[in-house]
Amino acid sequence: MPTEFSARVLANRALAPGLFVLELADCEPLVGCLPGQFVMVRGEWGRDPLLPRAFSLLSARHGKCELLIKALGRGSRLLERSAVGATLQLLGPLGRPFPVPRAERRDFLIAGGVGLAPLLWHAEEAVRAGAKVELFYGARQEAELVLRERIEATGCRVQFTTEDGSFGRPGRVTAALQARLDEEHPTLLTCGPNAMMRAVVEIARARNLACFVSVEGEMACGIGACLGCAVQSAPGAARAYHYACIDGPVFDALQVVLP
Amino acid sequence: MNLRVPFATLDCASPIWTASGTFGYGREFAPYFDLARLGAIATKGISPEARAGNPVPRICETASGMINSIGLENVGAESFGRDKLPFLRQSGTNVIVNFFGETFDEYVACAASLDALDGVAALEMNVSCPNVKKGGVEFGVIPAVLTELTRACRSVTKRPLLVKLTPNTGDIVALARAAVAGGADGLSVINTVSAMAIDARRRRPRIATTYGGLSGPAIKPIALRMVHQVHTALPEVPISGIGGIASGEDVVEFLLAGATTVQIGTLSFSEPSAAARILDELSAFMEQERISDVRELIGALVVPAGC
Ligand SMILES: Cc1cc2nc3c(=O)[nH]c(=O)nc-3n(C[C@H](O)[C@H](O)[C@H](O)COP(=O)(O)OP(=O)(O)OC[C@H]3O[C@@H](n4cnc5c(N)ncnc54)[C@H](O)[C@@H]3O)c2cc1C
Ligand SMILES: Cc1cc2nc3c(=O)[nH]c(=O)nc-3n(C[C@H](O)[C@H](O)[C@H](O)COP(=O)(O)O)c2cc1C
Ligand code: FES
Repeated sequence: MPTEFSARVLANRALAPGLFVLELADCEPLVGCLPGQFVMVRGEWGRDPLLPRAFSLLSARHGKCELLIKALGRGSRLLERSAVGATLQLLGPLGRPFPVPRAERRDFLIAGGVGLAPLLWHAEEAVRAGAKVELFYGARQEAELVLRERIEATGCRVQFTTEDGSFGRPGRVTAALQARLDEEHPTLLTCGPNAMMRAVVEIARARNLACFVSVEGEMACGIGACLGCAVQSAPGAARAYHYACIDGPVFDALQVVLP
Repeated sequence: MNLRVPFATLDCASPIWTASGTFGYGREFAPYFDLARLGAIATKGISPEARAGNPVPRICETASGMINSIGLENVGAESFGRDKLPFLRQSGTNVIVNFFGETFDEYVACAASLDALDGVAALEMNVSCPNVKKGGVEFGVIPAVLTELTRACRSVTKRPLLVKLTPNTGDIVALARAAVAGGADGLSVINTVSAMAIDARRRRPRIATTYGGLSGPAIKPIALRMVHQVHTALPEVPISGIGGIASGEDVVEFLLAGATTVQIGTLSFSEPSAAARILDELSAFMEQERISDVRELIGALVVPAGC
């Protein structure tokens, strides 16, 4: 059941220009939530920005949680300046998670940018559960490939890519994925820019692989009330739209058409 | 301390209602506070048939507000009665069903079918819909059409009928008079303000339908002015004040301007328990100011002579 609660900033770690991790305490209501679920976050901002911002959980354990955030607009830039000890208002856990890792299933995780957050957590849980996962993580340049030590620490096979070739395999993350798929027949879980996820979905379709996407579009309420987070349903579905906050953000790629 | 207020023939546990389209079908908010504390819940706008709504993006945030173009997506009257009303009926508050149609006849048919449902306390007519026959102008902006539409809906329901006025007009008082002439038992003031937002880099409108409805604290001063004008012109008609209400003090301002009740809209998106917090703040304000009955505040604005 989602809960409204106050969380305290334990740490605010800059990883690269405009990329940071917030570690929050007093997050007991998040106990038991799973990778792919998200929270709505608001600071003491008065009436402007008015709406909370949605962030996937990078982890939630023992009454703490972590968020991996890219400073884009006003809300995320205000969060970037959060002082240790400051209070944030959270609502969560929200949404449906990625399929829980299972030893008999092999997952390939394809992350772009801050889409890494739920997939890194999924990788950590998968390793703990004895499931095999591989992570494909792409960015434009080396500086944006964050949390590499933590990724390596999971012990799962990782392929880093950068579009400018400054680190890992040069080019797009989807090209690295294609190359590996000639050998394997996994389930694909992806989170990142829509263009990247569309390419992953195409690959899944062409190779007849199960595929799950996490849709991170605009949201106002996070609880199914505003109907602002509509995602077009796949052709032939019983209804025209699904809602990212309550039906997602994780969808079977066959359910929806990515924007 | 008394927070209970009558509105037309409704008995409201408090002057705090929640606004149509911002509170789902009630159930979405039940985890966050006791809905029986509300004077009423205005449901999502219901049409005779289910509607899928508009393409995306449907929402964008603006300074102290947001623009939406949801497209009046709803489950339709039949599913509403079957799937949504049973929960609302036992929620312990008045259920006000907001409704609309795409044509004159659809409005009337919708009012009639909702009237037949058990557990509906009142109807609220949303007249901010494009009237296809009149070149897409909102039903609610031409006084003669508004009177006729109100009269037709009035004749098919025994329940109190509220008309929700659009602010997208030069003369809100003329619209208020038109609705009352058609038999409206109360007025909801205001709906969203027509607006747009532009993405400068992409050179595109920020929402798919180019224009949408602005809501939130940004519109509060407009709403207060309109409530005050309508109350001044029609002091006997109960008004439910709407627009950017975010605190107990905001509620007091609307009551002073002449509203009998208020509706919490966009704030429920920021904070699902906003309506409960605002009610607590209203009680605290009354205690501090030694006001024993909330009804003392209604229309109690002091306008110094010469203003
Ligand atoms: C389920 C979900 C999970 C998310 N997880 C993360 C995460 O783990 N880390 C992270 O950094 N971000 C995440 N996001 C995106 C994050 O919510 C937005 O980046 C944030 O709301 C932008 O707010 P702002 O105030 O910084 O920007 P605004 O000032 O609101 O907007 C800045 C720009 O970003 C655009 N924008 C606004 N909202 C979004 C959005 N949701 N997606 C893409 N563009 C947007 C606007 O159109 C504008 O051009 C997630 C979104 C969702 C829905
Ligand atoms: C997302 C959204 C959907 C809405 N849907 C309806 C609706 O179906 N019918 C209606 O009469 N008003 C609708 N409204 C208008 C609100 O009920 C209210 O009049 C308006 O938002 C102003 O109040 P606020 O500033 O407190 O939000 C909607 C508003 C929003 C933001
Ligand atoms: S964010 Fe409001 S319905 Fe999904």
